[in-house]
Amino acid sequence: MSAVPAKPPRNWLAWGGTIAFLVAMTWWSAHGIGFSLTELLCNLAGGSRLLQESWPPDFAFLPRLYEPFMETINIAIIGTVVGGILSIPVAVLAARNLTLGRVTWFVDRNFMNILRTLPDLFWAMLFATAVGFGPVAGALALSVFTVAVISKLWSESLEAIDMGMPEAVRAVGGTWLQMVQFGAIPQGLQHYVSYALYAFELNVRASMVLGLVGAGGIGMILEVQRANFEYERVSMIILAVLVAVLIIEQISETIRRRLE
Amino acid sequence: MSTQTGLLQPQKRIGWATWATFIIAALFLWSLIAIEFSPGRMIQVPAQVARVLSFFYPADMAYGWSAVLPAIMESIQIAWIGTIIAAILSLPLALFGARTLFPRMARLVKLISATARAFPEILLAIYFVPIVGLGAFAGALAIGISSVGMLTKLGAEVVESIDFGPVEAVEASGGSRILALRYAVVPQVLPEIVAHWLFRFELNIRASAVLGVVGAGGVGGVLLNTLRYRHFEKAAAVLLLTIIVVLVIDMVSGEIRRKIIRG
Repeated sequence: MSAVPAKPPRNWLAWGGTIAFLVAMTWWSAHGIGFSLTELLCNLAGGSRLLQESWPPDFAFLPRLYEPFMETINIAIIGTVVGGILSIPVAVLAARNLTLGRVTWFVDRNFMNILRTLPDLFWAMLFATAVGFGPVAGALALSVFTVAVISKLWSESLEAIDMGMPEAVRAVGGTWLQMVQFGAIPQGLQHYVSYALYAFELNVRASMVLGLVGAGGIGMILEVQRANFEYERVSMIILAVLVAVLIIEQISETIRRRLE
Repeated sequence: MSTQTGLLQPQKRIGWATWATFIIAALFLWSLIAIEFSPGRMIQVPAQVARVLSFFYPADMAYGWSAVLPAIMESIQIAWIGTIIAAILSLPLALFGARTLFPRMARLVKLISATARAFPEILLAIYFVPIVGLGAFAGALAIGISSVGMLTKLGAEVVESIDFGPVEAVEASGGSRILALRYAVVPQVLPEIVAHWLFRFELNIRASAVLGVVGAGGVGGVLLNTLRYRHFEKAAAVLLLTIIVVLVIDMVSGEIRRKIIRG
């Protein structure tokens, strides 16, 4: 007698429901956005013309990118440092094992989740409206965005620390602050540095496009050239951005790997 | 008989952490000076933010239901189609990008995916808008292409971590490489890969929300216009509805992901 075990029965209702949902959602979406392969194929001719116009990149334009590019990096640095510092209390209070009380935890956790819902460019638009166009708006926007990124990730790693050390600090009469400072943060420090570097990578990438909404950096030049259909310059900017992002990512990833 | 009280302090020396802090502080100061973010300017910020926020109340919900909600729906549709495009393209790429299965091909695939990841989707949209015209379709293509990179990378990592027993079993019983993929690899990796798809969908909702800035559909263009014309009550409706919809989708999607991973 063969000993092949019987296949477990499938829950056809759940399967059918899932597939029906996926198909319906896809149909609704494709219909809603006007998805059409024919349109895509018909427009490929226009696309190839656009690509011809964008090639070769206008290398004579490169020197003029230096200043806005440095501004972009400055925005990313400020955003990461300010956001990195602010995210420490937000993350600690959102960690279930360290927080001050249920109410603090609940408020902080929801605050964090709400911060996370808005994309970086929304913050940039808001700050550009509040403090005026320019790099300051971008730096503020990325600070908020960084808090959203780091605090969520770090509060989760803080929840996984060994509670022995914090309890020991408490047992010898340490205050809550001392418990966090000497018992918890040293254990989470490595993760914190790793997440901060990750946030920096995201911020560099984000700061390249902040200028599209007037929040400073290289994106502002991009927006001007795009509006004037100077596609050779647009592709020069994009090429420069791409190379810069890849280099910074490589450096950051190397540091992160060495930390582990 | 010792008179020592307390523990010995470890010897202080200037370690890498001190150096790193010093360098970061220097970079930070340089950046503040470069963008002219002086202390005088900093003091103004809270008042400026509070002033604009005071205009946000009350949110114009009539505008919210009639104009904002359809735009948010469009953002969701863009994100969904973009995720589907990326899922279809990245599944084979993830298999071929696994070092353990295809050592030589994996390198090429990983290089392509790293390049694709470096592009912010909004830059891709700048190219797709002139090709397929203003609107959501361009946005969906941009989101799709830019998601392929990350999904390929994460997917390849999942494939690299599988148990090789079933693969060897299929091959030992005469199955081809393709059959091994179908019966030994895909069933092992699919749950985690689907979880990554859902996670990417959550990210794509945020990404598609900003595409309107370059005319690629969705709610971003609405926010930009309401702020540009100083219709702050309408902008408040945009923010409120975006926050609520994204929170709900995050919660549902997160719950499904947890269920899939647990099996």
